[in-house]
Amino acid sequence: MENFASLLHGFGVALTTYHVALMVVGVLLGILVGVLPGLGAPNGVSLLLPLTFTMDPVSAIILLTSMYWGALFGGSTTSILFNIPGEPSSVATTFDGYPMAKQGNAAEALTLAFLSAGFGALVGVILITVLSGWVAKFALRFSSPEYFAVYFLAFASFVGLGGTSPFKTVVSMGLGFAFAAVGMDTVSGGLRLTFGLNELLSGISFLIAVIGLFGIGELMLTMEEGLRFDGIRARVRLRDVVRTIGTMPRYWVALLRSSVIGCWMGITPGGPTAASFMSYGLAKRLSRRKEAFGKGEPEGVVAPETADHAAGSSAILPMLALGVPGSATAAVMMGGLMIWGLNPGPMLFIERPDFVWGLIASMYLGNMVAVLVVLTTIPLFASILRIPFAIIGPIIVIVCFIGAYTVAGRSFDLWLALAFGLAGYLFKKLDYPIAPLVLAMVLGDKAEDAFRQSMIMSKGSLSIFWSNGLVATLISLGLVLAFWPLLSMVLARLTRPKTTSATA
Amino acid sequence: MIKKTSWLVATALTVVFGAAAQADWKPAKPVEFIVTSSPGGGTDNFARMVQSIIAKHKLMEQSVVVTNKGGGSGAEGFVYTKVAAGDPHKLTFGTNNAYLLPYVAKLAYKPSELTPVAAMALDEFVLWVNGNSPYKDAKSFIEAAKAKPETLKIGGSQSKDTDQTLTSLIEEATGTKFIYVPFQGGGAAGVQLAGGHIDGNTNNPNENAGQWKAGAVTPLCVFSPTRLQGGAKVTATMGWSDIPTCKEAGIPIEQFQMPRTVWLPGGVPQEAAEFYADLLKKVSETPEWKEYIERTSQTNRFLAGEELKRFIAEDDVKTSKVFEREGWIVR
Amino acid sequence: MISRFQAEIATALMTAGLGLTAVAGALEFGVGWGDAGPDAGAFPFYIGLLIIAASIGTLFQAATGRQALQSVFLDREQAKRLGAFFIPILFFVPTALLLGLYVATALYLTFVMWMQGGYRLIVSAASGLAAAVIFYIVLEIAFQVPLLKGPLEAALGIY
Repeated sequence: MENFASLLHGFGVALTTYHVALMVVGVLLGILVGVLPGLGAPNGVSLLLPLTFTMDPVSAIILLTSMYWGALFGGSTTSILFNIPGEPSSVATTFDGYPMAKQGNAAEALTLAFLSAGFGALVGVILITVLSGWVAKFALRFSSPEYFAVYFLAFASFVGLGGTSPFKTVVSMGLGFAFAAVGMDTVSGGLRLTFGLNELLSGISFLIAVIGLFGIGELMLTMEEGLRFDGIRARVRLRDVVRTIGTMPRYWVALLRSSVIGCWMGITPGGPTAASFMSYGLAKRLSRRKEAFGKGEPEGVVAPETADHAAGSSAILPMLALGVPGSATAAVMMGGLMIWGLNPGPMLFIERPDFVWGLIASMYLGNMVAVLVVLTTIPLFASILRIPFAIIGPIIVIVCFIGAYTVAGRSFDLWLALAFGLAGYLFKKLDYPIAPLVLAMVLGDKAEDAFRQSMIMSKGSLSIFWSNGLVATLISLGLVLAFWPLLSMVLARLTRPKTTSATA
Repeated sequence: MIKKTSWLVATALTVVFGAAAQADWKPAKPVEFIVTSSPGGGTDNFARMVQSIIAKHKLMEQSVVVTNKGGGSGAEGFVYTKVAAGDPHKLTFGTNNAYLLPYVAKLAYKPSELTPVAAMALDEFVLWVNGNSPYKDAKSFIEAAKAKPETLKIGGSQSKDTDQTLTSLIEEATGTKFIYVPFQGGGAAGVQLAGGHIDGNTNNPNENAGQWKAGAVTPLCVFSPTRLQGGAKVTATMGWSDIPTCKEAGIPIEQFQMPRTVWLPGGVPQEAAEFYADLLKKVSETPEWKEYIERTSQTNRFLAGEELKRFIAEDDVKTSKVFEREGWIVR
Repeated sequence: MISRFQAEIATALMTAGLGLTAVAGALEFGVGWGDAGPDAGAFPFYIGLLIIAASIGTLFQAATGRQALQSVFLDREQAKRLGAFFIPILFFVPTALLLGLYVATALYLTFVMWMQGGYRLIVSAASGLAAAVIFYIVLEIAFQVPLLKGPLEAALGIY
């Protein structure tokens, strides 16, 4: 109950005209950097940071977090409209969002994405309001074996989705792992698979792979078919947006399930990317319309977006309480906290409750403001698709390459993006699933690090993965999910005679 | 070794001749600050602090662009600097990794291919244990490690980097053996210690300050010749200056500190190096810099020119001895 | 004309090659399982082997199911369209490396709009130039994100 009192006080702090104006400005700027090539939330944050030094910390963090929400929404927009995910966590949104846009349902896809993202974020914030103390303590129980178990769980719930050829799924995932291994190895402190090339020192960036595989690869397919965007003639009116809002309750199961997954992955340090993939994987497995996934199924947009934002917002609390940033954006924000004279850590809650609860209150308000603002921009964004393809096509290509360059300012990445583009085209045409490659690239080296750290701790004994209740539960859950197709087959065979005898 | 002496001779010569030259060089275009860590890292905070002070006090006419090149533990940034030989508009920010990295990994640059400009601060290392652990001082911790060799776990940032070097030094000085667990960064090592998953870490004061305040971790000793500055109490009973030096506490290590260094590419005019050394000296005299040093509990020490070269040479010899003993050196 | 069978074989050989590269690169670091768990090379080594094995599996599937794979992977008409799109991109990258991203952007957009979009040359060139300028203003001036620049920018005194 104490938390609610603090929260009400927080609302009192956050709900002033000045702060709401800051939220709108922040969200608009965030959408801008989220949609623009090569820019992301970190750019926006580092641009705003100097401005915020003259503000009081509460106003400053409201501005920065609102910009962060805006950038997340902007990232989903490009995923759906152009198949170019702005952030790793919006990759799963492309699976069904882009097909929907291609079929002329861009407005519907965007509306669903924004609303479910807002819903997920809200659930995440409610969770940290109610359980703030517990969440911070719970996160402390995670060490390397538990991290590994969480990553394993994310893989297990997603694996086997391809469905075409198991060999091709394995090739795709294996390549993802191999790409993730390139560069500096944390555990041994040595360089791996760089073959003496300076360009590979810092590894192969996940974003380059995504820009190539999704952005350029997809354009090649579109061009080859001689297709144009089918969305061209689909006029978008605000009425379509309103109508889609009405369909939201239909997805309540997916919304709730994805929120739970998102919150869980946000608190355990699995992160938003793992959350969105896991949520998509489970949504597909549990759906009655499995075949429709990947071809423009609305639930395939709702599930990853909800989980992504639920994880993103619930992860902010461990960050503040533990002082460990979960992403580049969070890192820059934490740098800001220190410059404002605030030390992230367990004491922040006790020393500066006005700041913490002002922030949490601003997460409620900021998300609502963000959803309202982005919904009104949908007709604007969807109308981009009406630009003739001879203009928008090459501009998307340019956007892809500018984005590839700005990831790290390396010219080599332009070639890499081109190579990934070719690979994406080939893979897509030959029915290699691309998603496992992406997931392996994001989580591969983290999972490997966690595994090897665990082995150092246990002196090479695998028993560490059953050494306490938490890690044992996670690993067992992962194993069940991984072998679910096999298990369900066995179960079906075992139960069938019984049911027939019962009916007989 | 021959390479090293010839480098020292060469730099000594340039200093002699450079001193005669007029220090009237000025940057002609925006200066790029190359940060050899990812955003949010210690080096990143350092470089952005310098940038904001230069901007605030208008210490330079040209603007500053900061780029992060933290790949390969910072090697990416140093290789980038090497390739930019002769370009005096690229200033690279690092630690002692600038001259230590090439020992442990096969890299396409040599320290002699960079021009040292200044060291602006020395970051301290503290031995920490979990707040609820039975060890109240360094002695009891070392005793416990001696009683059960290779069971106590010390966490740190990265592998074959400062934390693991220090762990190795402690092992040598006290005849103990720990299990060293490398994490992504000091922050992660701090959380692992607070959660009781490891037994100790050697984090910088700044990395553990928050957890200490909350009582989740306890400092045992600091690897510095003198105690830390800073009077205010952090917890109810202790402040930074109440942490004994490790020598006092019974670990015979005189000093282990990490310099925050600034470099130029090789082959730049001597006047350029002097210009930046002078600029950074001005930065280090501002109140904002002092505030940053105090907040992060580092030691304020500005080194440039001969003094810097001597410091680097000493640190290089001392650390490479550890690398040699541990067999980390790649050839 | 390329048949699906040929494309399958070529792709599987390529992935097997990548697997082989990973194995070769990993051997440098030891692939055993020591006291401290797996060595640095172990993970890439086994992943590499897995990729090779799965690629061979794909090859085998393609070989046994050859009849079913006689369908057309890429016909002449498709190849033409694909080439029209891909070849300009292939030129875009070296142009960007040589002349900078802004000049490459202007040239590429001009070329594609003019040759493929059927716009007048003057309209295409103006659009190309406008796009480059807009990108410059947004990225370099508003957000201070430096892009790759070439001799033209240097001559104009833009850094």
